[in-house]
Formats: sequence, structure tokens, C-alpha cells
Amino acid sequence: MHELGVVFEVIKNVENFAKKNGVTKIDTLVLQIGELSSMIPKYIEACYPAAVDGTFMQYTKLKIEILPGNGLCKKCSTVFNLMKNGGKCPGCRNEEWELLSGKEFMIKEIIAC
Amino acid sequence: MNSFRVLEIKQSVFEDNDRDADLLRDELKKDKTFLLNLMSSPGSGKTTTVIRTIEALKDEMKIGVLEADIDSDVDAHTVSKTGTRVIQLHTGGMCHLDADMTRQGLNGLGTSGLDFVILENVGNLVCPAEFDTGASKNAMILSVPEGDDKPLKYPLMFSIVDVLLINKMDAIDYFDFDLEAVKERVKKLNPNIKVIPISAKKGEGMEEWAEWIRAEVKNWNQQ
Repeated sequence: MHELGVVFEVIKNVENFAKKNGVTKIDTLVLQIGELSSMIPKYIEACYPAAVDGTFMQYTKLKIEILPGNGLCKKCSTVFNLMKNGGKCPGCRNEEWELLSGKEFMIKEIIAC
Repeated sequence: MNSFRVLEIKQSVFEDNDRDADLLRDELKKDKTFLLNLMSSPGSGKTTTVIRTIEALKDEMKIGVLEADIDSDVDAHTVSKTGTRVIQLHTGGMCHLDADMTRQGLNGLGTSGLDFVILENVGNLVCPAEFDTGASKNAMILSVPEGDDKPLKYPLMFSIVDVLLINKMDAIDYFDFDLEAVKERVKKLNPNIKVIPISAKKGEGMEEWAEWIRAEVKNWNQQ
């Protein structure tokens, strides 16, 4: 469970952004997490209330969008989902691919009020 | 509802830390202090390796040590017996160090006059790999009893380090550990990695390791 420390990092980032942009109250925070990221959405959600407690984000809702873990086959250039296909190209069964997406852990946006 | 506005941030969560780490590296460069971030699993022989490293290099450079653990000061106590300047950092439950915590540790230690600082990170192969501490170079230890499959299970760690020490080579006869397979797996993830088999206990490979540090410290001061 390393999500708590990372959620603290998220709050720090958002605080900096809010200060710079004159935002004092945030309704919703939207995060994007890749399927292949080591961050587990369920645990992020579980520790979020404790992490924001007592901060200016105490009443800020959390929304998480999942980004697909996609690879580009090095042989036949098919783009495919790595999780669904077990890391094998569904077209030619090749196991060598280039990672296109899925490792992200991004703060996408905030809805300010 | 029209009082709501959406502000796009589109920023990686690690961005602030990455920036802070770059700042810290610049500061260390000016101070001519080479900071090595040493990572591994718990029980791989990090502290023993740190002590042997100090013994090998203490006559030619001024060394300091930052010990990071979730709790206790046993490691700092052990290292302090060598007469080296050492400080214990408690992460208070956190599984990694970030650049800001590293800076606090360096300030506590006082880097003035130090040529070489070893940061013994929290024993963990997952989270420390994701956070840049601001170190000049990253090293990790994989010990023989942990098994040769670790590069397959924890690929990120093996792909971000500059040097890999394979420790407890004196015990290799008792384990099914394929050194060549490890090298092959690691090079696939990280073609530029330097692999040095050592035994911190018996001294094997320590000269090659010390030589790597000498060259890196020299390089850091010249750039």
C-alpha cells in the first residue's frame, strides 16, 4: 500500500496549482490512472478521505478515469490492449511490442467553484 | 451550476517532485557532493555493503550516510561505529523517500566538505523506483537468496538504476540462482546498466565497486 504517500503528493501538486491560479475551493478533482500503473484506484479511493482531511480539499470529490494499457505490435503494427490479450498481439501472436499507454498517473483537471 | 469552472491541469503527479529533484542535483553539483541512492529489498545486505564501501574509500574521500527506514535507528547505529557522519531518517510509514525528504536529510547531515553521500533508501523494490530523490546516480542491490526472477517481477526498479550489485555471491552454491540469466534479463530492460557481482561479507567484487564510485565521484566534480 504505497498509495497514501502518493495521494499526499497529489494534494501538494493541486495546492500549488490552485495557489497559482487563484482557486480557493475545488468541487471535484479528476485523476487519470493507467491500467498498468502501480497505483490501484480502489486504494487511492480508500485513502483519499484520510489524506485530504483538514486540508482545503476536505470537501473535494474524487473522480478517477482509467486509461487503457495499449501496445503497438513490433511485427504487424496492430494496436492492442495488453491486459485483455495477455501481452500477445491478437493479430500475429508476437510478444514484442512497444508500450503506447497505460503507465500514466496524471492529475487531469479540477472543477473549481 | 454556471459558477463552476473546469481547469485543465494535465500534469503527472510526479512532476513537482521531479522538478525538486533536479534542483537538488544542481545544488549538490555546486557543493561537489556526489549523492548515491542505494535501493534494494529488505535484507539484501545494504547496510553491510555500505560499511564495506566506507572501509574501502574512507582514506581517499569524505563520506556521509543517510539511513532511511520506516522506524528504528539500528542502521545508523551500526554505520556510526565506522566513525562516519550518519543521520537516520524516519519516513513514518512511508515506503519511499522523495526529493524534499532527501534535502531535509542532507541539511541535517550537513554536506559541506563531503565528497560522497550514500542514501540508504527504504528496503522496497516498488515505490522508491518511482520517486527521484535528486541523487547523482542510482544503485540497487539484488541478493542471491532473493532469486534470479526479480528483474521480471520488478522491472521498473531494474530499468532506472545505473548500477546493479549482486550480493551474497558467497552463497550462490546453495541457491538456484542463474547469474547469466539475471544479466540477460536486466540488460533487456536497461542496456546501459553496469552489473557487479559482490560479496559484502567476504569482500569479493568490492574493489570493482569502489572503482566505479571513484570514477563517478571524479566525473561529478569535473562536469
